[in-house]
Amino acid sequence: MKVSVWSLLALAALFSLGLAELAVELHRVQVVDVAAFKADLAHQATRRMRKPGIRGRILDAKGGVLAESRARRDIVCDLSAFLENGGLANTVTAVDDAITRLADALGFDRPASLTTARITRHIRTQSAVPLCVWRDLDETSLARFEERAAGFPGFSVESHAERIYPRGTFAAHLIGYTGRDRGTEDTDDVRMLAYELEMKGRAGLEAFYDDYLAGVAGAVRIPVDARGFKPRGAARDNIALGETEERAAQDGLDLELTIDPDLQAVVEKQLDGVHGACVALNPHDGAVLALASSPTFNPNDFVPFVSAKRYHELSEDPGHPLLNRATAGLYAPGSTFKPVTALAAFHSGINLQAAYECTGVYKLGDMRLHCWNRWGQGPMDLYHAIEQSCNPYFARLGYLMGTNTLFRTAREFGFEAKTGIDYAPERSGSLVAPPFYPGLACQSAIGQGRLQVTPLQMAVECATFANGGKVFTPFLKKRADGSPPPEPVRTLSFKPEEIEHVRSGMRAVVEGPKGTGKAIGGLKVSCAGKTGTAQIGGGEKDTWIIAFAPYENPTIAVAMVVERGDSGGKTVAPRIHAILASIFGEKEE
Amino acid sequence: MLKKLLQFNWLTFLSMVALAVIGVIFIKSAGEARTAASLQDAWRLHAATALFGLILYFTLSFLDYRKILDLGSTPYFLIAVILLVAVLAFGERVYGGKRWLLFFQPSEVAKLAVILMVAKVFGRKRPADTFLDLLYGLGLLALPAFLILAEPDLGTALVLVPAILVMLLCARVCLRVLIPVLAVSLLAVVAILGAVQVAETTSNPQTKANIYRCLPLKEHQRARLRTFLNPDADPYGGGWNLRQAKISIGSGSLTGKGIGKGEQKFLGYLPPSVSMNDFIFCVLAEETGFAGASAVLGLFGILLLSGIWTALRCNDDRGRLTVIGILTLVFAHVYVNIAMSIGLMPITGLPLPFISAGKTFLVVLLAAFGIIQSVSLHREEET
Repeated sequence: MKVSVWSLLALAALFSLGLAELAVELHRVQVVDVAAFKADLAHQATRRMRKPGIRGRILDAKGGVLAESRARRDIVCDLSAFLENGGLANTVTAVDDAITRLADALGFDRPASLTTARITRHIRTQSAVPLCVWRDLDETSLARFEERAAGFPGFSVESHAERIYPRGTFAAHLIGYTGRDRGTEDTDDVRMLAYELEMKGRAGLEAFYDDYLAGVAGAVRIPVDARGFKPRGAARDNIALGETEERAAQDGLDLELTIDPDLQAVVEKQLDGVHGACVALNPHDGAVLALASSPTFNPNDFVPFVSAKRYHELSEDPGHPLLNRATAGLYAPGSTFKPVTALAAFHSGINLQAAYECTGVYKLGDMRLHCWNRWGQGPMDLYHAIEQSCNPYFARLGYLMGTNTLFRTAREFGFEAKTGIDYAPERSGSLVAPPFYPGLACQSAIGQGRLQVTPLQMAVECATFANGGKVFTPFLKKRADGSPPPEPVRTLSFKPEEIEHVRSGMRAVVEGPKGTGKAIGGLKVSCAGKTGTAQIGGGEKDTWIIAFAPYENPTIAVAMVVERGDSGGKTVAPRIHAILASIFGEKEE
Repeated sequence: MLKKLLQFNWLTFLSMVALAVIGVIFIKSAGEARTAASLQDAWRLHAATALFGLILYFTLSFLDYRKILDLGSTPYFLIAVILLVAVLAFGERVYGGKRWLLFFQPSEVAKLAVILMVAKVFGRKRPADTFLDLLYGLGLLALPAFLILAEPDLGTALVLVPAILVMLLCARVCLRVLIPVLAVSLLAVVAILGAVQVAETTSNPQTKANIYRCLPLKEHQRARLRTFLNPDADPYGGGWNLRQAKISIGSGSLTGKGIGKGEQKFLGYLPPSVSMNDFIFCVLAEETGFAGASAVLGLFGILLLSGIWTALRCNDDRGRLTVIGILTLVFAHVYVNIAMSIGLMPITGLPLPFISAGKTFLVVLLAAFGIIQSVSLHREEET
């Protein structure tokens, strides 16, 4: 025989070895390396989906709700119910037809934005996430859908959180608004391709405290097939991969503010119809009691997102309603800066005892600085110069002390720097800018020159005089109960009697016989302040008041600017009077 | 009759039936992930085909294999060649290849035809050690192989080669030429693989172009070799099938996910178009784990070794050569099919015997094992 036993045995050995080799390799793949392949499977067949927590509310100091979240209910479409073989276009057509049929059955209009192109894009980018068809439905519409839902598999109702601002424009600049955003998460190496747009703070406290309010998004792993859809039918029922919660969502915290809602309402009323801003602080710790800017906007316009048209209207409005003038508006402070100049004089070595004769104008070379009283106010000392807001007196002080001394004192009050309030945007302003010229010190001394300040900085200046020389960082988020009172960032390097001297001048502004701010007075308590009328060119004036009360132990320091007014004493003083009267009451005659 | 029952090789028969039943189970499992009713019911067709094949099996096993070879092999071979020509002329083009004639694949029919023909020619009692004998034997292989290659179906053409070469070696056909030729061919294969590796890793595009100009490889063959040599280079392109096959098998772990619960097939990562054919082993290994996969290897081992036992007890070259050819063909299918899905071989479209869905191949296999059973039953009869 040609075919030997040996060749048959060799063949048997070959078969055995071949199968044994396969068994060894299978053992390696299925037993030794099993973890790696299971990880590969989990990696490709699951998507991590963000589940945002419920966004916290924003509350005023008395617990009133300024911003909260409500449940919005949508009819959504689960795309995997309409999967068709062949190209993507078939599936898109199936979804499109189903939406049209459901719209007919319910008597709803088909959403115009839901074009085939939009459906295609959704399938391409987030096929595992349901497609929102009708959003924010009322109870009647939902009931009509529930009656007919059985005939339309693939459609269901989903709840989503939606922001609402119950008081509309109230404290709008403070609260800001939210927009919609895809959440991002890069803490893990797992893919996070599935997400639904969620709320994200875009402006104001909503943006500044976004992390605090938003909480921590949870993560759910959902299985997806090779085409990126959620598995359905036999596939869903038979596979071990299911929805698993990787991390529970943590709801956001409520943000309690220092804002006194009653005071805020009065302040907003006083600013109604003018362009301007007002900030009221507690002088003992820097807590913001009210902060408003006018004109304003309604943050509900930004829910769930602002239309391009509305945003254009707001951003092109010459009154700049989106700008928070209180923290980001820059103005010349005018005479409200004079108390700073007055205090700086104590460090300049000038003999303040010597009287100065106001002739109605201060001349320096070609420059002439006029007093508001063209005929001059006669002999002046520091006290009366503050009371009567004498320009020549302060221009001379500025000339004698120079910009270095003046601005060093101004910086102690926090000018030329952000106050550090827990809010954005905030601007730092400036004290000086090139070109320099003789007389800059004189003009700066009366709050003109190149000075640029925010109403918030003026409120801090006022609070610093009110409390006797402590500079606090203003804050909006209420301190936790029992936490130690905030430390001042700085204490002025002036003697208490020097500060008291200026304070008494400020009281004379309101209560003295020739005070420029007498319209503030007439309250049950004693009050101090300073008027300001800043020339801004073209004959226009920005008008100011800073004021604090009660004089002996102040509980409020307020600064207000009204653009294009007549004068601080005429335009602003009555408004400040109204604000303070709402707290302390009118003096009974 | 009683004697025949005693001589019946039960091990071969039972392991074969067991493998076909496993085939039915996993074709059903793979079909459950599909939407088309014809694919969901493909397991019924597999079972029916197996039953029809068993009739053929018993018919052939009770005929004397010598008569089958003497009378049947030449006409069968000629018919197979005619069918292969016919499929090139009238065949239906599916996925870029002409492999189907009406309801069957002539290339599967031809596999057994060549084996029977070679067994008949070289099983004669005279020695066959001249160079002409070798040329004749290689010619019997080359004629259908080139027709199959023209379809084109490289895998099926190549899988015939080891079966026929093993038969020629065992029949000692002109070994003084055959052995050196084999050695040189082996070196050539290694050289081609080496050249592809150099071409794929070189940074000089000119060198790459020059190498490929000298190699007779089509683009998709090049891509498969590339994937084989560098499996991780392009996991979402050419490496997709291999990667998904390995994830299917690997994630099956020791005991599997349960029959019918394979995630890779349900989620469509294991390409659905091949999950019940060439990649059915992946479904099986995912759902039954290493335990099930090695049990299937064990069944193939029993099938092959009990077949060798039949050949050992047969005192006739024709019988032994027939058995050797069929067993080697089956072994080559099993080895290539499983090895490719774990990256030991380039991806090749070869079905797993008895288990993959494929009517023609299943019928041909049952017929072939019917002839092996015939060798077992008729080994002591004289002609």
